[in-house]
Amino acid sequence: MMELEALQAVLPQIRELGASLVAISPQLPSYGRAVRRRAALEFDVLSDEGLKVAQAFGLAFTLPSYLEELYRSFGNTLDKFHGEPAYRLPLSARYVVDPQGQIRAADVNADYTVRPDPEATLAQLRGLSANSERQRA
Amino acid sequence: MKLQERLDAFKASFESGAPPFNAPRAAIEIMHRATEELRQSGKAERALGVGSRAPAFALPNQDGQIISSADLLARGPLAISFFRGHW
Repeated sequence: MMELEALQAVLPQIRELGASLVAISPQLPSYGRAVRRRAALEFDVLSDEGLKVAQAFGLAFTLPSYLEELYRSFGNTLDKFHGEPAYRLPLSARYVVDPQGQIRAADVNADYTVRPDPEATLAQLRGLSANSERQRA
Repeated sequence: MKLQERLDAFKASFESGAPPFNAPRAAIEIMHRATEELRQSGKAERALGVGSRAPAFALPNQDGQIISSADLLARGPLAISFFRGHW
């Protein structure tokens, strides 16, 4: 949530560059709506049911049973949030993709409490826009 | 404050065991263990990285409208944030 709020703060600059931003989680769309409302997000929160896209990026993992048990005890019912019985999550990750579909920046961390600053992502997007300007010139 | 400073401050507050979270020590240790195991699994290093082709996707947004990566990329570069959830 804190990360999404920080990304929201640079959304105007991202759009100024002609770039887009989306967030992806395994949660059903109704929870995406809740996130957007709570954090006042203006970008789309996509619902990756069954973690198919997370899997394609190599990010999906199954929680060990002891962690599943802890989450359940907190009322953190991933099965309900995700609409699947398995307790799976994506690694926290941020990607920058160029218009040709190639990954130009990737930050993937096993520790979800360590996240890159939105300014870094903005700088990467700026670099791509500068390149495409040069190619057009 | 930078994002990482805010995350660190939140983590310190959570792990102090004090209100408003009152997180039990045992729970914090379980979370540390899980993160450490995930780190040691090398999963993050095997995920797609720079130079790979980004897999195409078409997913419903918060309103059920299908958003495709192809449409977004036709307009320009795309930043994607994979996150765990609203909790």
